[in-house]
Amino acid sequence: MGTGAVGLSARNRELLALIPVALLLTIGFAAVFAQNDSELGNLSLSYGLYFLAICLATHIYIRIRLPQADPYLFPLMALLTAFGLVMLYRLDAELARELARDQANWFVLGLILFAVVIHFLRDYSVLERYRYTIALTGIALLLAPRLPLIGTQVNGAYLGVKIGPVGFQPAELAKICIVIFLASYLREHRELLVVGARRVLGVTLPPLKHLGPLLVVWGAAMFMLIFIRDLGSSLMFFAAFLALLYVATGRLSFVVIGMSMFMIGAWVIYSTVPHVTDRVDIWLDPYQDPGGAGYQVLQSMFAQADGGLFGEGFARSMVVIPGGTDPLLPAAQTDLIYTLIVSELGLFGGAAVICVYLLIAARGFKVALMANDGFSKLLATGLTAVFAFQAFVIIGGVTRVIPLTGVTLPLVSYGGSSILANFILLALLLLVSNRARREARDGEPAASVGAWS
Amino acid sequence: MDFEPLSIALKFAFLGVLYLFLFWIAVAARKDLRRNANGGSGDQTGISSGGGTARDAWLIVESSDSLDRGSRFDLFGGVTLGRSADADIAFTDRYASGIHARVYPRAGRYFVEDMNSTNGTLLNGTPVNGEIEIRDGSTLAIGDTSFRLQIDD
Repeated sequence: MGTGAVGLSARNRELLALIPVALLLTIGFAAVFAQNDSELGNLSLSYGLYFLAICLATHIYIRIRLPQADPYLFPLMALLTAFGLVMLYRLDAELARELARDQANWFVLGLILFAVVIHFLRDYSVLERYRYTIALTGIALLLAPRLPLIGTQVNGAYLGVKIGPVGFQPAELAKICIVIFLASYLREHRELLVVGARRVLGVTLPPLKHLGPLLVVWGAAMFMLIFIRDLGSSLMFFAAFLALLYVATGRLSFVVIGMSMFMIGAWVIYSTVPHVTDRVDIWLDPYQDPGGAGYQVLQSMFAQADGGLFGEGFARSMVVIPGGTDPLLPAAQTDLIYTLIVSELGLFGGAAVICVYLLIAARGFKVALMANDGFSKLLATGLTAVFAFQAFVIIGGVTRVIPLTGVTLPLVSYGGSSILANFILLALLLLVSNRARREARDGEPAASVGAWS
Repeated sequence: MDFEPLSIALKFAFLGVLYLFLFWIAVAARKDLRRNANGGSGDQTGISSGGGTARDAWLIVESSDSLDRGSRFDLFGGVTLGRSADADIAFTDRYASGIHARVYPRAGRYFVEDMNSTNGTLLNGTPVNGEIEIRDGSTLAIGDTSFRLQIDD
């Protein structure tokens, strides 16, 4: 199976795919240089080559350690990072910060972490044994921003932790911990959830005895809404949980029940918790406070409309009001980075970003399809779902499909924890994929001898 | 703005390369998907990987010495029937073997297979040899015990 329809091995296809990614980064940087400095130096070319060199090093590592892994996931994720680097570099001049340099450092660190995870987790079924430890770590990470001294509050939500000079968004790492736990729990209890099912009034209900986890996760999502005030993450977690539950049991009715429970809970919280009420009201009617609470979402809509079909061009849309420091696009480097892309590359640019996420989701589910054991299948599904839903939550937020919440656009937004967490996620997906494709090629599950090496 | 044409050219170059790249990956990924769809299908996880959509199906007890009439058993992932305590649906019946038969889904349809039982399995009165598809409303009889299959759409 080594040679594909195009006559290239999986790894050679990955190598080939990295070249256009580096080319895109080069063109992007060149365009930003041309616009800001009115000159075309060879600096953009050097940046492109640096980027290519880093990607090639990672590629060689994958070639040695995971020769059978999916060939498209890494180039697609590198493309998102390249998108982020270009957009952040473009913001540097206006915001007088060095976002792109930081992000590039995080990218390299993320890839080192990626290599470390692959090195120490060849046999990822170890994760199943430590599932309760991992789940507790995840919950502790989620609660950390509410702790005194280290917790920080941003726009009414407790998202960050600050230890000395190092800021950190724990929800990003928590999402991986919780997916690992759910995958391992559902792998074991899947049959029980289904076999004991009863029908009441034409609706298939899960057995009460095993409904526990559903209620616990639902409770956790609601708790996050109130206590951490993180709407985006709670939506993302719950959606990923329902996707996993559906894959594990094959029961649409469980998903419908879960959704209705979420709707009811969300409505109750909407009518009782002021922070949530504000967010939803601003979403429904941003004009009630156009200069204040509704400012960000309104500016986001106008900036996207300015982009038209093909956008205004790199570094040509207005981010800061001229002659001052007031932002025209608040949080353009994190929440509104998708807005900035649409504004400068237009509908086509925005659609391309969504296509990249769709392709990653398709490849992720493909990994799940190919996997030969329940835990691998559920792990790949869960990781893919949480990644895709995160993209949906923030893109939906800035386009006013759902209330705007502060999650990052995976791998594009500025932020170290987001980059690190998503490269751990990629490492896990590639580990699952490597094993699945190797077993598919060899025709039988590989012996676990030497799995620790 | 001398550099405006350059800026526009670079923007379209960027979009062009981006779309060509995405198109290439989409086509390659689609081929990949097809190739594997034909090859590997059976796995041991029991987690549905597409193909036929899993419909809910139940075995309902019609007559039995030990099971309550009207009891419903979910067929998800397949069940074994027999006298042994290891069977998913265990019941007492003089004519039943330890693991007498099994019922399992495949590609959205349900099949029954007799597990070399001593006294055989009857599907709508006909003995089961090998595997036979069972449809909604069929009656499955093992000794004095009988079940009706119900499939929900």
